[in-house]
Amino acid sequence: MSQQSSDPTIYDGLMFVSLGAVIVGIVFLIMALDGYGWSAG
Amino acid sequence: MNNIVSKILIVANLVFSLCFMCFAGAVFTFQAGWRDKANKTQTQLASANDQVKDLQGQKDQLTTKHAKELGDEKARANNAEAKVNGLTQERDQARGNLANAEKERDKHLVDLQVATKEAEARITETNDARAEIKRLRDQNNEAIAVRRGLEDKNLEMVRELADAGTREVQFLKEITHLNDLLRLNKIDPRDPVIGPVPKVVERVDGFVVESRKNPSRSAELVQISVGSDDGVFKNMKMTVYRDSSFLATIQITDVYPDKAVGLVVEETRNGTIERKDNVTTKF
Repeated sequence: MSQQSSDPTIYDGLMFVSLGAVIVGIVFLIMALDGYGWSAG
Repeated sequence: MNNIVSKILIVANLVFSLCFMCFAGAVFTFQAGWRDKANKTQTQLASANDQVKDLQGQKDQLTTKHAKELGDEKARANNAEAKVNGLTQERDQARGNLANAEKERDKHLVDLQVATKEAEARITETNDARAEIKRLRDQNNEAIAVRRGLEDKNLEMVRELADAGTREVQFLKEITHLNDLLRLNKIDPRDPVIGPVPKVVERVDGFVVESRKNPSRSAELVQISVGSDDGVFKNMKMTVYRDSSFLATIQITDVYPDKAVGLVVEETRNGTIERKDNVTTKF
């Protein structure tokens, strides 16, 4: 008796927003490292 | 997706994702300021290192200079110390000399006191000697005065002696002449003289000082200006005259050294006797 629902819920949206936030954060970090020439020291 | 755990994990995932994004954004936002600050700090560090190098060089120069000055100052200090030692020795020597000089001074002070006492005694002796010399000079002056008086008297006596010699010669001539006269008159000069012999009358000239008669007006007394010093003697007869006129003869009754008084012989009166009339022994 399993019931399959196909409609995205709020949690799917939250997952999508989280993924977007992660991507934006990664882009910010890449841009910051580019300012230092990819040198950590 | 329907259970509660999945929901909690989805929410947590959302929260962490948002935090990650905010953190990355913050890093991207402030990293430029950090970089500028790091570059600036790097530049300041390099400048500071340069300054440190310059200061190090200056320090080395100053160290060298100070080392050289230190050597010079040490040499000067050694020289000064040597000089101080020399001066100390000279001071010690001078102190020794001073001590010797003080001893000599004390000795000389003692000698000076003795000499002062001796000088005072000499001064006293000198004052006594001066008083004695003054007394002797006074005696000498008195003796000189006496000697001069005696010399004057001696000269006078010598002159009198010469006059006496001359008179003696003259008297001898007169005696010879008188003896010749006596022989011519046949009188022996050795015969004795019998009776009073009148005195020899020498020529004496004077004048009448005053003429006055006695209270009974029986006789006139005449005072004349010559006396015994001029050869006038008592009972001597003198002539009173005016110009060439004979006035009277007076006989001396009182004789004084510088005057005489005579009584007018009335038998010989030939005029009135007045003051300033002349008197002589040989008219």
